[in-house]
Amino acid sequence: MRILTFMTSTLLIVMAATAAEAHAFLDHAEPRVGSTVPTAPREVSLSFTQNLEPAFSSVEVKDASGTRVDLGKPSISASVMRVGLKPLPPGTYRVRWQVLSVDTHTTEGSFTFRVGQ
Amino acid sequence: MSRYTMLSLALASFFTLASTSDALAHCFVGARFFPATLVTDDPCVADEMSLPTVAWSQTADVPPASQWDLGIDFSKRITENFGVTISQDWTQIRQANGTVTQGFSNFETTFQYQILKDREHELAILAGLIVDWGHTGSTASGFATDYSLLTPTLYFGKGFGDLPSSFSWFRAFAVTGQVGYQVPTNSFDFTQSVFIPQQLVYGASLQYSMPYLKSEIIDLQLPDFFNHLIPIVELTLTTPVANNFGNPYTTTGTVNPGVIWVGSYFQVGLEAMIPINRESGTGVGVIGQLHLYLDDMFPTTVGQPLFGGSSAAPRKLTF
Repeated sequence: MRILTFMTSTLLIVMAATAAEAHAFLDHAEPRVGSTVPTAPREVSLSFTQNLEPAFSSVEVKDASGTRVDLGKPSISASVMRVGLKPLPPGTYRVRWQVLSVDTHTTEGSFTFRVGQ
Repeated sequence: MSRYTMLSLALASFFTLASTSDALAHCFVGARFFPATLVTDDPCVADEMSLPTVAWSQTADVPPASQWDLGIDFSKRITENFGVTISQDWTQIRQANGTVTQGFSNFETTFQYQILKDREHELAILAGLIVDWGHTGSTASGFATDYSLLTPTLYFGKGFGDLPSSFSWFRAFAVTGQVGYQVPTNSFDFTQSVFIPQQLVYGASLQYSMPYLKSEIIDLQLPDFFNHLIPIVELTLTTPVANNFGNPYTTTGTVNPGVIWVGSYFQVGLEAMIPINRESGTGVGVIGQLHLYLDDMFPTTVGQPLFGGSSAAPRKLTF
């Protein structure tokens, strides 16, 4: 009985955490992390698992030589951050992001995507 | 419904409600998240709680005895870089003939200071002092001693995300480790007429982060459950190095392959415990842990350092 109760309690906690999704982890991105896209995207879109504070969240995109290819200030709506891109020739690009979630914790990360074959 | 059942459900409900508030995880070093490991320690000071850690194994006795260990520990940051952990373990040993011995080990306190967090290189270093307070457990049952143990310990964690992109999936690996030198406050145990050795207490983990793989290297579009997994192998060892007259200098310990599922407010870990030699136990044991991130669950109260606030305060982000 005690084991059953403990497992039930644990399950409740699991369900709560699953529903809340509080971490500002990168949930998915377009272009996808590590992907190769045949044509140049017009923007990079980052979806996080928690709403963001726009004033303290940012993203930049650079080409292989380290030159910025994004259009500057991102647009942020709830948990999604977008930044426009200049016309991209084939090559590899790195996206670096830092975000502040609404509970004042920061997370950061980076990934690459490739344009062309 | 028993009082125990009501208490368990009340606690679960409390955590359920608490987890609807916004929060975030704790042991981040740059883009790397180090989970709390089960038999060694992670390289961060944090507000967290293991409730409980449960282990089953068979002792090295002939015939082997069945051993259950139940542990609880609670960690609290005093300042941003200094934290204290209190721990208590309870053990039950059932001999092959049915004889049962059980009791508490000594109360343990760990003081830790965060020396370094290098975001760029995903490197964390922590210094600590573990104190097992003598005569605070069941000395009569043999699970506690009437002398204390002091163990200065160095901890580290290193992620491989700073390797060149050509290393690809390998960059999701990370290692953590700890090395401590355990010194007893007495050199001789008069009740058992044996010397009390000074020991090297050390361990390490090799872990592969599926969350890191998905967000930093390649999104394989796996089912979400797999993106929360961190397969891990832990190693924990003890070697007598001094004041061990008349006893063998045999290293004992276990190799623990397993997996940790990392959620938003807690993690669940499960590992097999494989003794490295006959002196370390018999057969394969198992250890499981439910670990709560208090700084995620209660970011504005329990999850804050007692003094000095948190570096997580809003700041303009720059690259």
